[in-house]
Amino acid sequence: MAEMRVLTAELQPEAGAALKKALGMTAADVVFEVRESGMKGRGGAGFPTGIKWNLAGAASGADKMVICNADEGEPGTFKDRLLLEKYSMQLLEGMTIAGYAIGSSKGIIYLRAEYPYLVPAIMKARQDLIDRKLMGHFILGGNFTFDVEVRLGAGAYVCGEETSLIESLEGKRGEPRNKPPFPVNSGYLGRPTIVNNVETFVNVPHIILNGSDWYRGLGIGENTGTKLFSVSGDVEKPGVYELQMGSTIGELLDLAGAEDVQAVQVGGASGITITAGELERTLSFDDLPPGGSVIVFDRSRDMMDVLENFLEFFVHESCGQCTPCREGNVRLLDVTRSIRDGRIASREELKDFFMLAEIMKLGSKCGLGQTSPNCFVDIVTKLAELPGGKGGI
Amino acid sequence: MSRNPVDIVTSAMEKYGSGREAIMQMLTDVNRELGYIPEEAIRAIAAAVGVSNAEIYSVLSFYSFFSTEPRGRNIVRLCNTISCRMAGAGDILAAIEDELGIRAGETTPDDRVTLETTSCIGLCDQGPAMLVNDTPHTRLTPDEARRIIAGLQ
Ligand SMILES: Cc1cc2nc3c(=O)[nH]c(=O)nc-3n(C[C@H](O)[C@H](O)[C@H](O)COP(=O)(O)O)c2cc1C
Ligand code: SF4
Repeated sequence: MAEMRVLTAELQPEAGAALKKALGMTAADVVFEVRESGMKGRGGAGFPTGIKWNLAGAASGADKMVICNADEGEPGTFKDRLLLEKYSMQLLEGMTIAGYAIGSSKGIIYLRAEYPYLVPAIMKARQDLIDRKLMGHFILGGNFTFDVEVRLGAGAYVCGEETSLIESLEGKRGEPRNKPPFPVNSGYLGRPTIVNNVETFVNVPHIILNGSDWYRGLGIGENTGTKLFSVSGDVEKPGVYELQMGSTIGELLDLAGAEDVQAVQVGGASGITITAGELERTLSFDDLPPGGSVIVFDRSRDMMDVLENFLEFFVHESCGQCTPCREGNVRLLDVTRSIRDGRIASREELKDFFMLAEIMKLGSKCGLGQTSPNCFVDIVTKLAELPGGKGGI
Repeated sequence: MSRNPVDIVTSAMEKYGSGREAIMQMLTDVNRELGYIPEEAIRAIAAAVGVSNAEIYSVLSFYSFFSTEPRGRNIVRLCNTISCRMAGAGDILAAIEDELGIRAGETTPDDRVTLETTSCIGLCDQGPAMLVNDTPHTRLTPDEARRIIAGLQ
């Protein structure tokens, strides 16, 4: 399958064309169109965007909020950086359409502290849109008003989790909240709030302009649309690739030029690790997590070093609220070093750690602790040199 | 001469208001201008938004970009995540440590540079990469890294 450039197409729709069309529709029809497109959130969790917007639109409460999650902290992900750099017009237009759809006049972009150099591009796009009456007061001369501000994070991966992000915006420690209530009912300052990924918003103008039928024609089955993938590691041409949802990982690696593949980390450190024998698997919500990060390892790499690096990341980034996540990642890191250094005498010794991994998945409050053991389970069972041979527990 | 911490908080308050939701922006402004967040600033922010000093401390200690210790005039953050590591971040770290005569996590005695390693900074396609203050530097070689570090004032 070749690349399929929509979001990153050379020729982009004229700024404001989608917004004009949306403002000519009822808010409910805009939500309906997005829902019919079948688009699921591009930030990883894959919640259907139209359903989220519908819930927020129906929620009672004043001062509804549109929040863009530009915290992009998953190791190996950089596709939102590209969108913020080059397509912030489409992002802001998508947020404005979202504001119209749910009845909000205020947006916030939560930008990770590592991307401060992107602020000027975003602010310039905002000013251009205001000058063209496509943002700000009385958009296109009508009654609808919408504006955005950019707020910087301060270096915490967990703040990409939407309730933690909201806590951070409220001036608190970025510790994930208990759900319910969900942000669509009670989010930023208790207001009904939608949080969507950068790429999700960038899709919106395209869906509105071309219609949900067109969108459903992209991708495979329920996995509609195109998807951006950030490819790094042992490839000839690292970078961002746009493919139809449901493409295989092998197709993506062919584009990026990968040889002598040992393993691929799909979906970032919190994603899953596959081996060279699994390249027919698809990037979709039904198979390999299509969040966007794809890191390739050739046969020269020691996968236990890779695992150590991921677990060090999780130990550092756990917010510490739940014991399984706070302590569990430390234990998994310890035993990973033992395996690497040949200090494991038998496979039996590892059983407790696989049990611990299960407990972490079940007993952690947010996605960080629930997914951090994946890399341990995958790499140890598929790729580690253990007493008596490779992998297999 | 850098501004007094209380003045920075006062102008931040004028820009962002004095609601609790302004805390991150106030902390960011102080941290950017002074390189760290001194106790005077913590007290001023606490008074501005009407929470305890301990509460402000609790918030700021959560975030790795905020510091309560004075840091160098320049902050170098070298990415330590796997894609940059595979591209040679280890050699870059060794070169910078050698150039500065300090280890990661330390500040040069003349307060010129603080060196830190950091989680993924989203430049994985152009590694090894680092941020020097707000500016990204990509596809580093050890020589290039030394040159950049030597040029910092
Ligand atoms: C630890 C953790 C980190 C996350 N980081 C991000 C992130 O950087 N960007 C993002 O869009 N979503 C991130 N998410 C997912 C968000 O919680 C949320 O699902 C998403 O922003 C919703 O937007 P979407 O439906 O458009 O994908 C993260 C989740 C977890 C558990
Ligand atoms: S799972 Fe980890 S990061 Fe998430 S809330 Fe619990 S301790 Fe914090």
